Amino acid sequence: MLECSELYFNVDHGFLEGLVRGCKASLLTQQDYINLAQCETLEDLKIHLQTTDYGNFLANQTNPLTVSKIDTEMRKRLCREFYYFRNNSLEPLSTFFTYMTCSYMIDNVILLMNGALQKKSVKEILVKCHPLGRFTEMEAVNIAETPSDLFNAVLVETPLAPFFQDCMSENTLDELNIELLRNKLYKSYLEAFYKFCKNHGDVTAEVMCPILEFEADRRAFIITLNSFGTELSKEDRETLYPTIGKLCPEGLRLLAQAEDFDQMKRVADHYGVYKPLFEAVGGNGGKTLEDVFYEHEVQINVLAFNRQFHYGVFYAYVKLKEQEMRNIVWIAECISQRHRTKINSYIPIL
Amino acid sequence: MGSLFRSETMCLAQLFLQSGTAYECLSALGERGLVQFRDLNQNVSSFQRKFVGEVKRCEELERILVYLVQEINRADIPLPEGETSPPAPPLKQVLEMQEQLQKLEVELREVTKNKEKLRKNLLELIEYTHMLRVTKTFVKRNVEFEPTYEEFPPLENDSLLDYSCMQRLGAKLGFVSGLIHQGKVEAFEKMLWRVCKGYTIVTYAELDESLEDPETGEVIKWYVFLISFWGEQIGHKVKKICDCYHCHVYPYPHTAEEREEIQEGLNTRIQDLYTVLHKTEDYLRQVLCKAAESVYTRVVQVKKMKAIYHMLNMCSIDVTNKCLIAEVWCPEADLHELRRALEEGSRESGATIPSFMNIIPTKETPPTLIRTNKFTEGFQNIVDAYGVGSYREVNPALFTIITFPFLFAVMFGDFGHGFVMFLFALLLVLNENHPRLNQSQEIMRMFFHGRYILLLMGLFSVYTGLIYNDCFSKSVNLFGSGWNVSAMFSSSHAPAEHKKMVLWNDSTVRHSRVLQLDPSVPGVFRGPYPLGIDPIWNLATNRLTFLNSFKMKMSVILGIIHMTFGVILGIFNHLHFRKKFNIYLVSIPELLFMLCIFGYLIFMIVYKWLAFSAETSRVAPSILIEFINMFLFPASEVYGLYTGQEHVQRVLLVVTALSVPVLFLGKPLFLLWLHNGRSCFGVSRSGYTLVRKDSEEEVSLLGNQDIEEGHNQMEDGCREMTCEEFNFGEILMTQVIHSIEYCLGCISNTASYLRLWALSLAHAQLSDVLWAMLMRVGLRVDTTYGVLLLLPVIALFAVLTVFILLIMEGLSAFLHAIRLHWVEFQNKFYVGAGTKFVPFSFSLLSSKFSKDDSVA
Repeated sequence: MLECSELYFNVDHGFLEGLVRGCKASLLTQQDYINLAQCETLEDLKIHLQTTDYGNFLANQTNPLTVSKIDTEMRKRLCREFYYFRNNSLEPLSTFFTYMTCSYMIDNVILLMNGALQKKSVKEILVKCHPLGRFTEMEAVNIAETPSDLFNAVLVETPLAPFFQDCMSENTLDELNIELLRNKLYKSYLEAFYKFCKNHGDVTAEVMCPILEFEADRRAFIITLNSFGTELSKEDRETLYPTIGKLCPEGLRLLAQAEDFDQMKRVADHYGVYKPLFEAVGGNGGKTLEDVFYEHEVQINVLAFNRQFHYGVFYAYVKLKEQEMRNIVWIAECISQRHRTKINSYIPIL
Repeated sequence: MGSLFRSETMCLAQLFLQSGTAYECLSALGERGLVQFRDLNQNVSSFQRKFVGEVKRCEELERILVYLVQEINRADIPLPEGETSPPAPPLKQVLEMQEQLQKLEVELREVTKNKEKLRKNLLELIEYTHMLRVTKTFVKRNVEFEPTYEEFPPLENDSLLDYSCMQRLGAKLGFVSGLIHQGKVEAFEKMLWRVCKGYTIVTYAELDESLEDPETGEVIKWYVFLISFWGEQIGHKVKKICDCYHCHVYPYPHTAEEREEIQEGLNTRIQDLYTVLHKTEDYLRQVLCKAAESVYTRVVQVKKMKAIYHMLNMCSIDVTNKCLIAEVWCPEADLHELRRALEEGSRESGATIPSFMNIIPTKETPPTLIRTNKFTEGFQNIVDAYGVGSYREVNPALFTIITFPFLFAVMFGDFGHGFVMFLFALLLVLNENHPRLNQSQEIMRMFFHGRYILLLMGLFSVYTGLIYNDCFSKSVNLFGSGWNVSAMFSSSHAPAEHKKMVLWNDSTVRHSRVLQLDPSVPGVFRGPYPLGIDPIWNLATNRLTFLNSFKMKMSVILGIIHMTFGVILGIFNHLHFRKKFNIYLVSIPELLFMLCIFGYLIFMIVYKWLAFSAETSRVAPSILIEFINMFLFPASEVYGLYTGQEHVQRVLLVVTALSVPVLFLGKPLFLLWLHNGRSCFGVSRSGYTLVRKDSEEEVSLLGNQDIEEGHNQMEDGCREMTCEEFNFGEILMTQVIHSIEYCLGCISNTASYLRLWALSLAHAQLSDVLWAMLMRVGLRVDTTYGVLLLLPVIALFAVLTVFILLIMEGLSAFLHAIRLHWVEFQNKFYVGAGTKFVPFSFSLLSSKFSKDDSVA
């Protein structure tokens, strides 16, 4: 079976794989970043980006150029690429793409609900939503008052519906509950995605599972870190951890008991993968945990391109592109706020 | 044709452009397209260069122009294209132009925004009227068909009663009505059901006409819906859901009078809006029409301006900041033109100090410029596809003009096919000014660009076809065959002669299937056919054997001549680059090697043709055996061609064997000797005389360097080499590799020329098969029905001839001819390591409006 699927992989997905590899080659290089970091104004940045594969995507923007304009245009570009991939994909790759969009959909739903809680208008929030996670029913989420309401009324027909099994409750949606809902949704999403990749088998499973495991563990760490000093109980906290990562199950149990960063670090010390990451925190250049995780994510995503005949390249490409966009936005922010000392703490894609 | 033999001499010039006049000077240069700029700021990134602000301004102008063009196209106003391309705008006008354009853009944006707003308003009102019209029928239907439905009473009848009834129930009846996209109806209804748990009633109907969406401007089908609900809470939810699905919600009139009133009000407002909208559109059109007149000029001007600033960014700035220094490559022939352009630029800007130029000596290799015309362009392209020639190297394109079509024709030798190809090419050449040909599709364009090649290929094919005596695989008997069959009969000869010869009588003719003509019988062979192959061979069964022998020998002869010519061209290169020793140590040994083996082979072929006649053909030796024996020295010495053959062959072999070590070691050892000793008086004196002959710039260079280097420079010609260290091992390796390649190449390349034979054979056989399979079948049918059959057969024959024999076979012969030129011919002398001269010329700028202008 293993050899076989490689034989006919290209029949269905060869074109897209070739395309995505070509797209990956257009990611900015180290030299590009160095040049970008030398820019004095956003106009300079625009001129330099024109020499890369971004082309003149900012050409039709009226002055003055702002960081948010750059960000929106870059997102639009990514979206165009993604929808092209998706529209040309066949099963089961299209399901894979749907899974990829789910995480953005969850974020958007949560963002809209938070907005509704703060009595902001839907239009205002919609602009901030990630275009990859956009769906029609999205705008109606503020009708719902409880998670089950949300499920029954709004999301039952969206791809997010299956992830609701764990979080049906009648609690009113206040800020804490929304955050709980997000994490629970994310947990079921990750587990479902993991299961999908596992069932698919072949190289896809071999490549995607480590990526998703890392994602799950990262969430576990971040949840723990964010829950310090909140009213979230330790039992509740444990229910939020995705149970697919390398930390599962002992690590998660230990994490649930952790009370400060040092204890968390001690948990991570048991794991060869995470120990160096935690050691790098605060080291040279005062990296945050988030930065370190991003760096590691970039590494494993780049590795995905070393294998042939699998879907992981699409996931990895989107993630790498996102990282690149974060980098450009970071550099642009530094330039526009005249905060040049930190301009070099972007995460280059190797 | 002199310009085609070698590329033009180039010189490096420094332009001192006064900062005030730089722009005008470059504008004048760009119009002429004389020079290629060198980037003097290579290590400066693109946004740190001097004129980046100006480039940005040009980009801003371009953006506005793109917007303008887009608007003009949307309004369906034709864009006039100027005949001549306007010059780059003077600097004084640029600001004015920018202001104008910006003002125009602001105005346009304003007007379009207003227009869009009005239009949106109008569309909404139209939607509203449609909604009112359709919802009226909903209510009516309720009256007619559901008179017993109490919870949703017909409002027109007695609303008062119902309201009281509702208040009694503690709830209020509410309505939401509007329009929704066709595709969203189902999901919308489902969500309403799920959220409101059935406390709503939805009625909807499809709108019979498609309306434009006020937001996106798409024309789509719409559904009109009416939701009636109970209670405030649900009302909120319904409204939110409507928002979510981007429904266009309009207030619902509760009574018939209200409805009438709204309807009337709407109608008048729609009328008003129509008039206002028309006026706005008229105004917009007027503005756009005015803009359209100048937009072509503006686009070209901005493009030129941007190009000028890009070039200025390549210049370095003088210390005093007063002038820009540009370095350019310029053909020497165009120097006075360049001076005039600079003068003109200075005059235009009215500067007091003129810009001037200065020729500077350089060690760098200049770019290669070979001026072509429409005829030579195609052939030059064939050569350039292999590699752009090194500076001042012999350009094989000149010879390719004849050899390429000729070698092609050898493989494609058919009178008829060649004539068809010639006609096709002639058609293209005669109509070359036709605009549709210029803008044709990819394949057609390929033919079009190669039309002169095709023309010559066709002509030469006609010629070789005549030689092969092949016309659609049939021979043409123009002059009468030289063979006489009747002479073979015994009755036509005196009985005394019968004994010596094998003659025919009635029984032999009747009983044998194959008869042989014997040329030694007097009267049978009356001398050669005046041009090409005798048509009688077309009937012979041993035709193929005869032709194969002929074509094989011909290919070898042609190939060796072609290659020898290549080696001789190498001598011209060495002469020009003043490397005389290369002639003695490389070219002459190469020539000897080639001629002593393969030249002698040719000699043997020709000698055998001349020396042996039909009578003596029985004793004629095989050339193959003779050639092999030349190397093997067999014990039993049977040399059959001529007396003294053995000694001649020995001498030739010795010369060949001697030339090999010279080829291998001569040049490296000579260079080593030059490097170490240079003790020989004669050589160094000849060096000086050569130096004196050298151009001025080299003399000025010599002043800076010691004589030693000057000598080397003279040796190498290529000036970059002077700086390189003398590395004997490297030179030896290069020379050894080159020699091995050459010696083996002589054999393999000669064999490679046999493709001439193979392809011409294949072509002849293919056309023969096509004739036999199709035409002969068609011609054999008897006369009554034959005509009916012959027509489709001829059609099929023509189609297959064109597609298989002309296009497919032609393509294959074309590729093989290219290969023979690139590999077998050009590797004897052509380095092809140059870079093309790309002048800064406005005519190379692509203009969106006039694509064909850019070709000029």
